[in-house]
Amino acid sequence: MPILTRPTIILTAAAYLLVVILIGIWAARRTRSAKDFFIAGQNIGLLVTALATMSAAFSGFVFIGGPGLTYRLGLASLFICFPVSLTAGLLCWVVAKRLRLLAEVRDIYTVPDAIHARFNSRSASGMAAAAVLVGTVGYLGAQLKALGILIEAIFGTREFLGEWSLAAAMLIGLVVVLFYATAGGMIAGVYTDLFQGALMICAAVAVFATTLSIGGGLENMARSIAESDAFGPGHLDPLGSVPVFTAMGFFFIFTVGTLGQPQMLHKFLMLDDPRKLKWMPMIIGVTQALCILIWFGIGLAVPSLVATGRLAPLTNPDDASMLFLLSFTPEILAGLVFAGILAAIMSTADSLVNIGSAALVRDLPMALGRKVTDELFWGRVAVVAIAASAAVFAYIYGDLIALLGTFAFGTFGAALGPVLAIGLNWRRVTAAAATASITTGMGVNLVIEFLMRQTIFPGLAKPPLLAGVLPAAIALASSFTVLFLVTWLTGRRAPSTIDDDVQLVMEL
Amino acid sequence: MCRRLSLVFLALASPLTLGLSLIPGPIPEWIFSIVVTAFPMALIAIAIGGRSGPGARGPALLAMLVFFEACVVGMLVFRGQVLDATWFGGLPPAAAIQVYGLFLAPLLPVALLYALTFDRFELKKDDLDRLARYRRPRGGG
Repeated sequence: MPILTRPTIILTAAAYLLVVILIGIWAARRTRSAKDFFIAGQNIGLLVTALATMSAAFSGFVFIGGPGLTYRLGLASLFICFPVSLTAGLLCWVVAKRLRLLAEVRDIYTVPDAIHARFNSRSASGMAAAAVLVGTVGYLGAQLKALGILIEAIFGTREFLGEWSLAAAMLIGLVVVLFYATAGGMIAGVYTDLFQGALMICAAVAVFATTLSIGGGLENMARSIAESDAFGPGHLDPLGSVPVFTAMGFFFIFTVGTLGQPQMLHKFLMLDDPRKLKWMPMIIGVTQALCILIWFGIGLAVPSLVATGRLAPLTNPDDASMLFLLSFTPEILAGLVFAGILAAIMSTADSLVNIGSAALVRDLPMALGRKVTDELFWGRVAVVAIAASAAVFAYIYGDLIALLGTFAFGTFGAALGPVLAIGLNWRRVTAAAATASITTGMGVNLVIEFLMRQTIFPGLAKPPLLAGVLPAAIALASSFTVLFLVTWLTGRRAPSTIDDDVQLVMEL
Repeated sequence: MCRRLSLVFLALASPLTLGLSLIPGPIPEWIFSIVVTAFPMALIAIAIGGRSGPGARGPALLAMLVFFEACVVGMLVFRGQVLDATWFGGLPPAAAIQVYGLFLAPLLPVALLYALTFDRFELKKDDLDRLARYRRPRGGG
């Protein structure tokens, strides 16, 4: 039943969106310079930065894609989100501090800027910009697909548009994202994230409590899943329902790969005082842990409801969240969660469009030794091009949101993770090694994904990987391997190209 | 020492991870699981092993490594034991290790370790003053 027939949900969502729009209008007036636009004037406090980082990491991927993946793969899928207990600390220890300190001595607005500062290499920063662009298309695609599914649920388009429903809903979502991305700035984005993040935490905890109540407690839900024919005991076995390489591959990608996520790293550049990083892992970690309760709760509740015959088996696992919220939660809570999910998708999409646009009209031309004269005009053109490409890619990709998100997360992680994690902490890494590592991470992920999915060239062999091995994990390991190998080959001959200020940042 | 060891580990573990992805069987699965679990700890060791060394963070990091590896080995050992095993906290043993061990248990200790050692090891009072001497606006880095 479409939500249109439930006015409480519509009213709650509308009230929430009105607050978000008002924050946007207030904040947009404060955007006066490029520094404001790209890094919110580097004037954002601890709580806002932490919640904005959390919101950038969590989006349609966590709230819609995650429960869908748990419905399909079982508890193995939780290796994607459970590393949050470690990743916030990992991020701050390994990358965030040096990235933020670089912004103390240089005008660093983007991750490619930081890579240029560290390696004094246009080829390294250019490849980083290309990787940001590729990953952005994938990640934005996941947001647009999640938005399409949300719009389908709200307006019930599947009933009258049939197989074209998702395409039409994604098109509507694309238009909304383009409007939001054109009107909103980064200041608006981060303050919206603060409000949205707080709401998502409350909604996630409330929905988790509801799942426990509906399912009759954790053990009851777990036993009904394990004893059912539809799912079976393997569904509750973290290393049993899928190959170990898949489960631990998720862990690998979503811990180490976090170090290369520009949509998160970008937020650290906005922090007004580097000393405030002290409590960053605590706030990010705890808020992320509270938010993923919604994934864990719905991910267990829906299979349990299907197992006990209270819900029909899902034809599309991505519908798990929608179905649960519409069928089993109070309307006011459903309205808040829907509005929160919508805002989460929009803010992440806005953030990605901003980063992708900067890569296309700023970072890539700079790497080629050129400067775009009318950055504002071409920036807007880039926004449209990136968003349209992302929508087409997501529609053609034809898989679950979480798997699309895994591909995009993997692209960012494999291309940028090793070069930032090792390169910012070890002086021997050369520009050639950085360039080779970024190229390898991006290239391997793209080539393996293409070979595994393509049907255009029947004669083209599939990669000789074991069942369940994730392309992104191979790409990440390849990127590390190449980084060390090329450093070893070129390190002794290459003169040090690290400037004094960057060297000091690396020593601190 | 800790830093150098971590660099050597990562340099060897990366191609090893690649190679293991091509070999079927339980032994490569175990090695893969143990190696990728050590990756984040090795990266932290490289990051904190600079200026003044890991200090008090060294033993804590080692404890983290042992704890995470124990969780992963536990999940591998209890693989396939669901309905016939003793449940803990409403979940079968491997799932309980995943939820309570891997997810919940390290959350506060990791964040507290970072916060409580920050002023002494991460960013000292005079570090920002030293950086201020180099501050120079330079578009695009």
